[in-house]
Amino acid sequence: MNATKVKIDHLTAYYGEKPAVIDVSLEFPERAVSAIIGPSGCGKSTLIRCMNRLHETGLRTRVEGHVFLDSEDIYQLDPVRVRRRIGMVFQKPNPFVTMSIYNNVSAALRFNGRPSREETDRQVVRSLQQAALWDEVKDRVDAPAVSLSGGQQQRLCIARALTAEPEVLLMDEPCSALDPIATAKIEDLIKKLKEDYTVIIVTHNMQQAARVADYTAFMYIGKLIEFGPTEDLFERPKESLTEAYITGRFG
Amino acid sequence: MNADPLADTGRPRGYDLEVRQLKGRAVTMGEWALDMVHEGWRAFDAGDFTAAQAVLDRGAELDRLDEDIEHAAIAFLVLRQPTAVDLRTATGLLKITTHLDRIGRLGFDMARITTASPSKGPADLRAVLERMDTAVEAMVRQCLEALGHDRADLARELFHKDDEVDQLHREANRIILRELKARTSDTPRIADSLLVARHFERIADNACKVGEKTVYALTGQRRSEYLPRHRYQPYALETPTPAPGTPDNPPHS
Repeated sequence: MNATKVKIDHLTAYYGEKPAVIDVSLEFPERAVSAIIGPSGCGKSTLIRCMNRLHETGLRTRVEGHVFLDSEDIYQLDPVRVRRRIGMVFQKPNPFVTMSIYNNVSAALRFNGRPSREETDRQVVRSLQQAALWDEVKDRVDAPAVSLSGGQQQRLCIARALTAEPEVLLMDEPCSALDPIATAKIEDLIKKLKEDYTVIIVTHNMQQAARVADYTAFMYIGKLIEFGPTEDLFERPKESLTEAYITGRFG
Repeated sequence: MNADPLADTGRPRGYDLEVRQLKGRAVTMGEWALDMVHEGWRAFDAGDFTAAQAVLDRGAELDRLDEDIEHAAIAFLVLRQPTAVDLRTATGLLKITTHLDRIGRLGFDMARITTASPSKGPADLRAVLERMDTAVEAMVRQCLEALGHDRADLARELFHKDDEVDQLHREANRIILRELKARTSDTPRIADSLLVARHFERIADNACKVGEKTVYALTGQRRSEYLPRHRYQPYALETPTPAPGTPDNPPHS
């Protein structure tokens, strides 16, 4: 296993008085894809929202425990700085609808200062290439982002997240709104992204987890039940609860 | 959400039915293969050409059963995309049918060497081969019982029974060597008996492999996790002892 990039230490996350994530401890390896699976309401999305301090932005939400990025507790850092280092892609593509493709991707650069036009161009091309979108949009980067297909919009959102040069990329059901062809492109992209980034993906689709993830965590009613190499978890799960879920006996 | 998910059998009934049917087909194939072994041995022992031909005729059905299970297992893998115990079962069955096919083929091979020899071979050799037939029949039945009724405990026991067959194999070889040295018996018959004894020994090995795959399918345990170390380590050739009187083995002064 690679060195740990994100370490979750006894994390409990609440909505009001109700805990959605309960005492989870987990270490995500660097430059690998880790998936979090589990039935609806098990806390998997809440867990990744705790990893870039998005959870605390909700109404009457709070977090106990720690999340370490390398050796730094992210709850001791400026949240904006945390989100630069830990990017996120959401379930539905959410490009900035009033902006062009180019401006969507360069937005993070503008928020982080005003680099030169040449530097911005270079970063935009690099991000679009990393997101496997450059070849499809290179002749129309000034077109509205919303003119892209759903799958292209999602890759645009990935490119936008990459522009900030994060160390970790969180993905919350990134393919659930996409057709199988767009899904396959995103999955190929996820596998490529792990060369440079630590990727943590929440997915309902177990086959997707099996296809893209090196490690998989199974959660149930807020608790972490099992975490290990994906191959082991899907072929020889250690916990009977994991076995029951992945074989479709409940959920 | 269900409070006790493990008590919930909420997945489609068709899914469980398909798994059950896959195992049932493999058991049917195993019984077919076992009949070929038993009848093959009977034909060889009695020098019965009609019985031997009946065994040879069964080969085509063995192939059909093998292909049917392979097709059904692949369809199950593609359509259901199984995981955990279901994945291990489906992939295990693809290997199990290979071993069952080999068992049937070894019965086929016994039938194929049936001759109308007036000699039945020495009585003690026939007795040992008869005991081997009984022992391997019990082993194949046990591995099919383990597979058909999800009995990992029965599958694990097979490795001990294999020792008994190995012992009988050595006994058969000892008698065959004795007969060949004495040149008192019908040599072609003795040579064929050597093959039959070897076939029985291989059948027992294949039954063990079926048991091994069944344990893995049911529990996820590899044989190294439940067998003594010497059982799964690769064999090492023993260093031959140099002939007495040679420079490497001089006579004692």
